[in-house]
Amino acid sequence: MDGAQLGIVAFTVKTALLSTLVILPPGIGLAWLLAKRQWPGKSVVETLVSLPLVMPPVATGLILLMLLGRRGPLGGWLYERGIEVAFTAAAVVVALGVMSFPLLVRAARVAFEEVSPRLEQIAATLGSGNLRIFFTVTLPLAARGVLAGTVLAFSRALGEFGATIIIAGNIPGKTQTLSLAIFQFVQVGRDREAMSLLLVTVIIAFLTLLSAEWLARRGKKKTEAG
Amino acid sequence: MNGFLKVQATLPLSQFRLQVDLSLASPVTALFGPSGAGKTTLLEIIAGLRTPQQGLVEMNGTVLFSSEKRIHLPPQARGIGYVPQEGALFPHRSVRGNILYGRKRSPHGAPIPMEHVIEVLEMDSLLERRVSQISGGERQRVALARALLSNPRLLLLDEPLAALDISLKERILPYLLRVRDEFRVPMLYVTHNTTEVLSMAQWVVFLRRGTVIAQGFPRDVLSSREVLPQVENGQLENVIQGSVLDANRELGITTLSLTDATTLSVPFAEKVRGEKIQVSIPAHEILVATEEPRGLSARNVLPGRITSVQCVRESCFLKVDAGFPFLVRITPSAVEKLGLREGVPVFLIMKTHSFRIL
Repeated sequence: MDGAQLGIVAFTVKTALLSTLVILPPGIGLAWLLAKRQWPGKSVVETLVSLPLVMPPVATGLILLMLLGRRGPLGGWLYERGIEVAFTAAAVVVALGVMSFPLLVRAARVAFEEVSPRLEQIAATLGSGNLRIFFTVTLPLAARGVLAGTVLAFSRALGEFGATIIIAGNIPGKTQTLSLAIFQFVQVGRDREAMSLLLVTVIIAFLTLLSAEWLARRGKKKTEAG
Repeated sequence: MNGFLKVQATLPLSQFRLQVDLSLASPVTALFGPSGAGKTTLLEIIAGLRTPQQGLVEMNGTVLFSSEKRIHLPPQARGIGYVPQEGALFPHRSVRGNILYGRKRSPHGAPIPMEHVIEVLEMDSLLERRVSQISGGERQRVALARALLSNPRLLLLDEPLAALDISLKERILPYLLRVRDEFRVPMLYVTHNTTEVLSMAQWVVFLRRGTVIAQGFPRDVLSSREVLPQVENGQLENVIQGSVLDANRELGITTLSLTDATTLSVPFAEKVRGEKIQVSIPAHEILVATEEPRGLSARNVLPGRITSVQCVRESCFLKVDAGFPFLVRITPSAVEKLGLREGVPVFLIMKTHSFRIL
């Protein structure tokens, strides 16, 4: 594997990690709101969040491009302030984040729903406000589900293709991720390079699952030990 | 009555409407009634976990809830400890982690010392255990300790013994009695067990289908015409307090003084002279004789006088004043044969082993 290929791997892992970190706080917050509270417009938000799951990724990418392109409502506003999103590394992070967000929210939501409201009520009678209840009862008890959702989101980000290629392009050294590079190498018949990147992909996927399993087991032990 | 806790609440439930207006002043009040009478709902309203449609909840002059003034203090601001039926321990914390959960944030007065709670509830050996490793009775003790250590101004107990089998019950009731006597936190105690009412409470409120049917001193309410038919299988016990005169292991008895003139022989227990203990005997375990019996193995023969006779379904309940107002359950046939009625002098016969030490 040469330097360029290493760069692609590092870029992919970095953008996937970054996008996962960025969606974690809003994803957990939204999952909690969906699981534990009733509010107007809830079902609309629910649908919007899940939309990227059912839409073709390319279509999601196109919508993002229309929003964030230089002439888009959000992109234009940013461009006036000297920030360009489309076809940059930032666009990759945005695409990965949007595509993996529903996976995180759905998993975390289920995990929060499974935390008995009774325990949260008891925590309140013991003097805890909402924030303390969340951090001392709800989140620790939902930790495994939230972690599973995070791993799922990260994996989805690692492999994201359709939305990324539309809003970020496939610019070697700038926005090219593993999937995009494999696609390009296959297209131009450089099978050897494609194969070595494929091998790296398999290794990363394997390591991700392994560390998730390890974290989950540690979390379980901790839950039982208190 | 002018109580420290006032509860007026209206709340439609699926089967009926909860409608209560209570003012409570006793250290321990029992909320008694059949399952589904709205007892737990009432506790939740007081704790702030449920909002009545209309009403007022006031404790020590502070308004906790008022539909009229639109006041609704959240549970964490009420200083009311709640021990639910199932214990609801935090599974991700150790026993110590559980009981310390509410510790830091107890704004109401001098805190109850942790060592004292651990000692009274005998929890020393449990502290480092996981909650998944402890028994049902131990769970209830942990839940109780956790609530106590949050320094509550009022403790709500929702059938703390209901989930346990009989043998465990016999072991946790003493802890509850000790908590009552040691920590002086007022309690509201939900139960449908008459022995618990009689041994724990100074006041009882009988609730059925969301309405208060009767309230008053436990013995009076439980043996009243409205409540007696509701008592499960007519199983009423006499819960008697006395002070120990003597405990003799060889004779197998503890002698208890009820009044200056009346003593009882109950099973042997490691007690010292002068200690106050509670014993119970089921109403149906007491025999009645119209003449003084002789040559009996039963150690207790007490002379008394019938103060009332009340027949409900296939049972008759006599109230007999024999240094203590005993409640005796016999058949209508026995009432007829012996000519039992108010004012008749009788002897009550009780075996030592019919008594249980609480």
